[in-house]
Amino acid sequence: MMLGRAVIPPLHPGSHAVQPLTDRAVASKLAQTKVAILGAGRGGTALLDLLHLIPSIEIIGISDRDPAAPGLTRAKNLRIPVADRVEDLVYNHGVNLIMDVTGDPEVERFVQIHKRPETEALSGSTARLLWELVRHEANLQTELFHAEKLAGIGSFAAGLAHDINNPLQLIMGLAENLAEETDLKTVRAQAQEIVEAVRRTSAICRDLTQYARKSSARDETMVCLNNRLDEALKIARYAVSFHDISVRKEYEEGAAARGNPDEILHILVNLITNAVQAMEQGGGTLTLTTDHFSDGVTLRISDTGCGIEPAVQDQIFEPFFTTKEPGKGTGLGLYNVKAILTKMRGTIDVESRVDHGTAFTITFPSALEGST
Amino acid sequence: MGEFTSGFFMGDQTTNGRVLVVDDEADVRKVVRMTLQKAGYDVLEAENGEKAIETINSGENRLLLDILICDIRMPKINGVEAIAYFRANYPRVPVIVLTGFPDADMATSMLRQGVVDYLVKPVEGEKLRESVARAMEQRELAHL
Repeated sequence: MMLGRAVIPPLHPGSHAVQPLTDRAVASKLAQTKVAILGAGRGGTALLDLLHLIPSIEIIGISDRDPAAPGLTRAKNLRIPVADRVEDLVYNHGVNLIMDVTGDPEVERFVQIHKRPETEALSGSTARLLWELVRHEANLQTELFHAEKLAGIGSFAAGLAHDINNPLQLIMGLAENLAEETDLKTVRAQAQEIVEAVRRTSAICRDLTQYARKSSARDETMVCLNNRLDEALKIARYAVSFHDISVRKEYEEGAAARGNPDEILHILVNLITNAVQAMEQGGGTLTLTTDHFSDGVTLRISDTGCGIEPAVQDQIFEPFFTTKEPGKGTGLGLYNVKAILTKMRGTIDVESRVDHGTAFTITFPSALEGST
Repeated sequence: MGEFTSGFFMGDQTTNGRVLVVDDEADVRKVVRMTLQKAGYDVLEAENGEKAIETINSGENRLLLDILICDIRMPKINGVEAIAYFRANYPRVPVIVLTGFPDADMATSMLRQGVVDYLVKPVEGEKLRESVARAMEQRELAHL
């Protein structure tokens, strides 16, 4: 028996029944998107976090009847206008899309009645579905970031074993000696050495467990970049060998940026590790620089290593791109670095010359609050 | 480069033998020295492969060194390079690896290169002394 085959009629030439939008038309339509977000709870915050990353979307403002709603603080940090009243955004002539994630039927009715005719509105179950999708995407991004961090920690094994087993060897040798030692002065001195060695070892575990923990998207604060660079150096030493590498620090006092301290630490560990790996053959100099400029802060990590081939420089921030041997890199390191920086409204640029070295320059927007 | 002869075989009965400990951690060198000195060995120290090569090629060490105890992860010339140098130039000197990183592939590779033992830190004093004593026996047999 032959199965029937559906016949799909060809489109007539000149038919406009299906009119795909060209890239330019899509871009033009998106460029017109001026959004107002109603509701600054979890849904509003998630939308804010996603939409502010899209250059073709302008967030005109966000509002919530609860002045303590978390999205309002987040909006202020992102320098997005916060409207005192929901009504102000609904009446706003600059808005052409209202996204109502309040879940409040009263607000939904108000929007439908009072919005300007040319303004579109998303509310009710549609808005909830959108919120769920956005939240799901944000969760995936967090999981990806954490998975890449944990994969990187695997490479710490050699450095960790070195830094833990050496003090353990000291403790073992001294403890064996103490079992036979009769000179009280020596006993006291060696017991003290054991205590110090235990402290050093436990500090390693503390540093690493802090680094490995899952960062929360909400604990954003002012971060002292110089302190984070020093901490990242300490962590990176477990991942890569600093033998034959000299470290130069050119720090500007008080250099700080707003962001998640764990995420910033991870970015820096990633870039420092890459820089040191680029100098594996023959050593070199790792230079860490922070600097103020009128609109923000720059942070630069440069090496005198092998450099990046010009042909692949455009690909280094793409997911799963790696120049490392199979099994040695996830290809997600620089992708995550860029994703985190974009979230912070920062940028990253690379300059590289083969056999001369590479410099990554990060720019953070200015932030003037006290830092940790 | 000339092969050297143990103090033990030269009739120098003041020590059980001369051991060079190569490790970038002063604390490790200190406890290994302490452990082996108690067992009657004369212990020399070097903080990396480069210094170890300098030490072995200086003065009477070329003639009197019996055993090399070497870490792997070290600055300058690392343990793998230093051991390759020693095996090539002083094949009758037994080499013991004492490392903080237990790596089966590395251990296999080192043992194939003629390393007599692969010890992982922290190693007990008794085990270290046994390993050195066995290496001394091999050194002795090599001269028969």
